[in-house]
Amino acid sequence: MTSPVAAAATRPAVRAAVVPPPRPRGRWKASAGWAAVLAVTALTLAPGIGVEVDLGALARNWQNGADKVVALLQPDWAFFPRTVEPLLETLQMAVIATAVAGVLSLPLSLWAARTTNPHTALRGTVRAVLDVVRAVPDLLYAAVLVAMVGVGALPGILALVLFDVGIVVKLVSEQLEAADTGALEAARAAGGTQLQVNRSVAVPDMLPGFWTQLLYVLELNVRASSVLGLVGAGGMGLLIDAVRSFYRYDQLSLIILEILVVVLVLEAVSSAARRRLV
Amino acid sequence: MRDVVVRYPNGVTALDGVSLDLEPGEMVAVVGLSGSGKSSMIRTLNGLVPVTSGTVEVGGHDVTAARGRALRALRGEVGMIFQSFNLAGRATVLQNVLVGRVAHAPTWRTLLGAHTAEDKAVAYEALDRVGMLDRAWHRASHLSGGQQQRVAIARALAQQPRAVLADEPVASLDPPTAHGVMADLRRVNRELGITVVVNLHLLDLAREYGTRLVGLRAGQVVYDGPAADASDRVFEDIYGRSIRPDDVLGAS
Ligand SMILES: Nc1ncnc2c1ncn2[C@@H]1O[C@H](COP(=O)(O)OP(=O)(O)OP(=O)(O)O)[C@@H](O)[C@H]1O
Ligand SMILES: [Mg+2]
Repeated sequence: MTSPVAAAATRPAVRAAVVPPPRPRGRWKASAGWAAVLAVTALTLAPGIGVEVDLGALARNWQNGADKVVALLQPDWAFFPRTVEPLLETLQMAVIATAVAGVLSLPLSLWAARTTNPHTALRGTVRAVLDVVRAVPDLLYAAVLVAMVGVGALPGILALVLFDVGIVVKLVSEQLEAADTGALEAARAAGGTQLQVNRSVAVPDMLPGFWTQLLYVLELNVRASSVLGLVGAGGMGLLIDAVRSFYRYDQLSLIILEILVVVLVLEAVSSAARRRLV
Repeated sequence: MRDVVVRYPNGVTALDGVSLDLEPGEMVAVVGLSGSGKSSMIRTLNGLVPVTSGTVEVGGHDVTAARGRALRALRGEVGMIFQSFNLAGRATVLQNVLVGRVAHAPTWRTLLGAHTAEDKAVAYEALDRVGMLDRAWHRASHLSGGQQQRVAIARALAQQPRAVLADEPVASLDPPTAHGVMADLRRVNRELGITVVVNLHLLDLAREYGTRLVGLRAGQVVYDGPAADASDRVFEDIYGRSIRPDDVLGAS
């Protein structure tokens, strides 16, 4: 055992300076990001350019608002029979759209991820198209599709499919890119084509996450499809539009309640399913 | 391998003029320090890493010139085993072993998951050979490390390969398990006559299981000879430093 004193004594007086490798550039990006967020926030609140947030209106119209709240607190239960059919239609639209979106999203996700599609041009194209798809709000899809294929559930379903594919492909392809690539490499080393590699290795590993995202968009679809009817795309929305224009907030209240129950049930079911999946 | 140079896009030269002739049926242990180019060398043998210059020939076919279908057919004849097992964790053991059949199956069969009876029979036999047949329906991620590496060996065997490449196959296993896996590889080599190239950084494993020893240092072959009589001197030469306790695994 050397004593600490002896160890200190044998330590060289002047240490050879350790030269660190040059720090990679690009660290200013983080601070620039924060600055941009602050600037945008300030800009949106600036008078003249930004959104007008008139808190005074809230106080001035409080009487008006209070009436509505009272009506909303007293659902018109007798209205229930008339809501059943639109509610079922909403659910059907949501389920069909989720199923179709699922079938389309699986291959598209594999094409959109770097790890499962080394072909840069094809991947870029898929991504660019999906960015556009995602940028358009679902209500706008519905409005345009109603004009194209007529009033009813079909334009609603199509709008939901577009909306869902945009979300699912984005989330699942990101999940694919974050996953370990070892098994993919092993399948490639075994002589598989990219299709074979994806099918035999990537698909089994991505499925649980894929189902989770599908359950999530099913929930979103129930919510969204109740609004799409506002532009004539079937489901609950048509009814919502009707009761709203007759100022029947008690009936609207029942509709909101029903959507709430459906969404809560769906959420319970999907979280139970998710637990089994992982 | 003839005058093989591998330079990565970042400018690192991993292999610097390597020439080697590997004979069929050999069990070659490749040793060298971390970063000496062991992984790079093994990956050039099945075209996972492209060579910058020189040629690699496997079974009379030029790996460096092969593209597409020809390259896949070549890879189909060479099994590969990885340090981190590289199984599809959420797939079953059997599904993982069937991955070894991809080069023998048309793409549509793989896509539909419609494996032929022959493919399945080969997979079961491969699992039986490594003693994992009873786990065929388990999820791969539910197995221990040693079991996962056995499944990976079965996947390589399911290719019915002429050679097996193993990149640090036991580096993440405890000593008894490591010996078990190395013994499996030796049986593959002896009973099936399959050429085995295995990267190791533990000199006692290299000596015990290899028939031939190749030493790499800074991307160059600095030793090539029988493994059994490679003395500690030889290893000190390869490593360019004296032997340390963590260079050996210890008894099984
Ligand atoms: N994909 C890559 N891109 C760039 N450089 C790489 C890549 N792979 C390896 N290298 C570099 O090439 C050199 C040789 O690496 P290689 O992985 O072949 O060594 P190794 O002997 O297998 O080491 P280890 O025992 O740590 O696995 C190292 O300097 C490494 O940093
Ligand atoms: Mg390595």
